[in-house]
Amino acid sequence: MAEEKKEKIIYISTHGAEDPERASLPFVLANAALVMEVEAVVALQGASVFLAKKGMLEHVHSSGFAPLKELVDSFLELGGRLLVCVPCIQERKIDLEDLIDNAVPTAGGALTEEFLSANATLVY
Amino acid sequence: MGEIDLNSIQADGVVDARGVSCPGPLLKAKKGMGNIQIGQILEIMSNDPGSKNDIPRWANKVGHEFLGSLSMDGSDRLFVKRQK
Repeated sequence: MAEEKKEKIIYISTHGAEDPERASLPFVLANAALVMEVEAVVALQGASVFLAKKGMLEHVHSSGFAPLKELVDSFLELGGRLLVCVPCIQERKIDLEDLIDNAVPTAGGALTEEFLSANATLVY
Repeated sequence: MGEIDLNSIQADGVVDARGVSCPGPLLKAKKGMGNIQIGQILEIMSNDPGSKNDIPRWANKVGHEFLGSLSMDGSDRLFVKRQK
């Protein structure tokens, strides 16, 4: 019997510590999606790639939401996938070994495949 | 099935999500559901206005049974029966 295809949402994050609320929202919604048994992927692009640098998440907290570190930890524990734009980290001189565990450097081709297989893609 | 008297329910597990904002109540509900057996009832206490909509939708989406809710003193008691 064919396996039932799981619903999937991709959240593109483009804001980092300079805008804690917009940095948090993709992870808030991605956590909710995972609890609803929907596959959730967060793709960090532009300034948001700094969030994947070790030691950065601890400094981002938008009032009204849980601290971003908690949101990301929960997201990863629930099986969420965190993708990081390769040219964006290169531009910002972030080395691969500086990335947090489970952050997956991803280039345009692979990301395009992710979009094509998703039910929705949201940009923050 | 007859109507359930929510006031008479003795939940098998209780999750206190008061003071926790979205998506915290959902996360706590999922965790709490893992601590009870199939057929048992979880009570989620929340004062997040979104929970009254979120918890029934979560239960329906993942295959549990939402039994209803009670409101008192600014918070809600939401009852979900584990079905899987």
